[in-house]
Amino acid sequence: MPSKTSRRSFLSASISAGLFAPLASASPAISALNPAEDAAPSASAVKLSYKTLGRTGLKVTTVGFGCMITSDPSVIERAADLGINYFDTARGYQHGNNERMVGAALGVRRKQVVLSTKTHAPDKAGMMQHLDESLKELNTDYIDIWYLHGRSGPPDIPDEHIEAQQLAKQQGKVRFVGVSTHSGQPQLIPWMIQKRVFDVVLAAYNFSMEPAMDEAIDAAAKAGLGVVAMKVMAGGFRSHRPGDPLADKLAQPGALLAALKWVVRNPNVATTIPSMTGMDQLDENLKAMDQPYSQADAKILAAHLEQIRPLYCSMCGQCGGACRKGLPVADVLRCLTYAEGYGQFALGRERYLELVSAQSARCADCASCTVHCPHGVRVARRMARAQELFA
Amino acid sequence: MKYAALWLTLLFTAGTAAAQSYLDCHFAPRWEQSGAKRQYDAANLFDYKDGGAEGYLIFGFVRMNTIDCRSGANTLTIDVSEMTGVDAAYGIFAGNLDPTQPATEIGMGGQVQAQSAIFAKGKYYVEIVETAADPSTNDSATMRAFASAVEMRLEGAVSPPAQLHWFPPGNVAPVRMVPESVLGLRELRRGYVATYVKGQAFIVLEDTPDAAALVLKALRAHFPGAIQVLVGDEAFQANAQYLDGVCIFRKGRVLAGYIHLPAPQEAAAQAEALAARIP
Repeated sequence: MPSKTSRRSFLSASISAGLFAPLASASPAISALNPAEDAAPSASAVKLSYKTLGRTGLKVTTVGFGCMITSDPSVIERAADLGINYFDTARGYQHGNNERMVGAALGVRRKQVVLSTKTHAPDKAGMMQHLDESLKELNTDYIDIWYLHGRSGPPDIPDEHIEAQQLAKQQGKVRFVGVSTHSGQPQLIPWMIQKRVFDVVLAAYNFSMEPAMDEAIDAAAKAGLGVVAMKVMAGGFRSHRPGDPLADKLAQPGALLAALKWVVRNPNVATTIPSMTGMDQLDENLKAMDQPYSQADAKILAAHLEQIRPLYCSMCGQCGGACRKGLPVADVLRCLTYAEGYGQFALGRERYLELVSAQSARCADCASCTVHCPHGVRVARRMARAQELFA
Repeated sequence: MKYAALWLTLLFTAGTAAAQSYLDCHFAPRWEQSGAKRQYDAANLFDYKDGGAEGYLIFGFVRMNTIDCRSGANTLTIDVSEMTGVDAAYGIFAGNLDPTQPATEIGMGGQVQAQSAIFAKGKYYVEIVETAADPSTNDSATMRAFASAVEMRLEGAVSPPAQLHWFPPGNVAPVRMVPESVLGLRELRRGYVATYVKGQAFIVLEDTPDAAALVLKALRAHFPGAIQVLVGDEAFQANAQYLDGVCIFRKGRVLAGYIHLPAPQEAAAQAEALAARIP
């Protein structure tokens, strides 16, 4: 890894003089034609912050780089040069093309960074084949962290998957192993802790999630699991949705940075992997390591939460018994939150179908709704949505 | 009035049936449907693809129709994604194309492998993936049969976006569509990139020449040592940290150029040839 001094000097030059500052070897004739443009404004170095990734002992920058949707390798190159040292990809991203691009972009920087990839192969043989392909495409002889990709609970992780990870460790092809998970963390993480064979958990975690996630992450960190957070911008299951008010809000200046800072401030989260497609996103995200989470950030995020409040039930229970048809309103809305808020459609539907009393009536049959949420949840509309989705 | 309503109902039913006819497990012998057909939109694609959903959404995703098939212990899934347009369908297809494997002429482009096939046609992007009990099975004939049958039932252009033809021949990999921040620059919102033995060319379309001129001006600010050159309507060349020798020009509402050449002068020379190909 380059020394702090050299990184700082580089930052001073590159950030202040433009994203694609001219090379030192650039033609003097060209420079001479633009003396005013060559005069760099005052330096504003970015401070990098590091945390230890659980029992791996790896020192990682609190802002890492999720490479999944990055198209141009120059963004990855520059991130590595600026000192970001955690990069995440997966075998399945663009059928392996993403790993190839990441490998090429990191190039000689490979040994300066912590590199993680994932396998979605269904069995041990497939996993080992994936690993060899990952090593080849990433142009490296070891993976720092090798994840089982997108698991939602213990049944998704049979013994042969664990055996494959341990074998890969013994062979020296991977240094540490983990599991990536978008849903089911409150069940999966305690199980991972108990198994004592995993080093890292890569979990969806952001400001819009319920306190149960904080508890799961806290337990993971206490048990020595390194915690890497993804979907930190509350993107993914909410962003990109046409007409989604939160997506529009998050598109506003400062909102994404506030969301990233909210995650970085959690001492139990070692690093984060926001997706980055451009240089300006990279520069924006770097600020999360330099600037503390502030009252202003809290205000921005509170406004976002206010925006989604009409959609999401806080389970206060004050609506209990208010439905004239006897529907368990809070329970039904909880199922909807699983599906829409946390991207767990299957879980939401499963829970909904378990609610026998929920099947007894349709909200569309009532001319008006007798349930009025004191927190502003549009009950009738949300109940109808749940019935449309699950019934 | 009653008859009109009946006709409309029949037309709608027929249309829906036709729209779904590409989802069938009987395109190859011994395959049967397993479970119900499913549909996802931008709001719930995460239920199916987890984080991978972002890879669809970023290109411009409308909905996905899916069917699972089974043959003995082998399973096969057909995902037909309706994208926002031909460029989005081409974009996600090119992003998933394995450049180390041969391409196949299906739709506007395809690729058939031992246990998978992908292709794009019109606004549709199709993925067919088999999970065989024996991972070493070569089922490319089955994959091809499914891909051809689905392709026949999908409407849409079989020609890729016209801009692809503007690139000079000789690219060493399929032209990619970059859905966001071409060259890593936010100003270049969406466009195409072709890779050559020496250098890369890119093409971005703006709505109007004036909009393109504003973008070019903003771009130039990223390259402090840039100098003006005569390519297209206006252009500059520069030497840059991550893009090496660069030349970016505007021709009408098109922004294009070359990067990763040893010197900016070389980039400018290549850019001139590219500009000549842009109508």
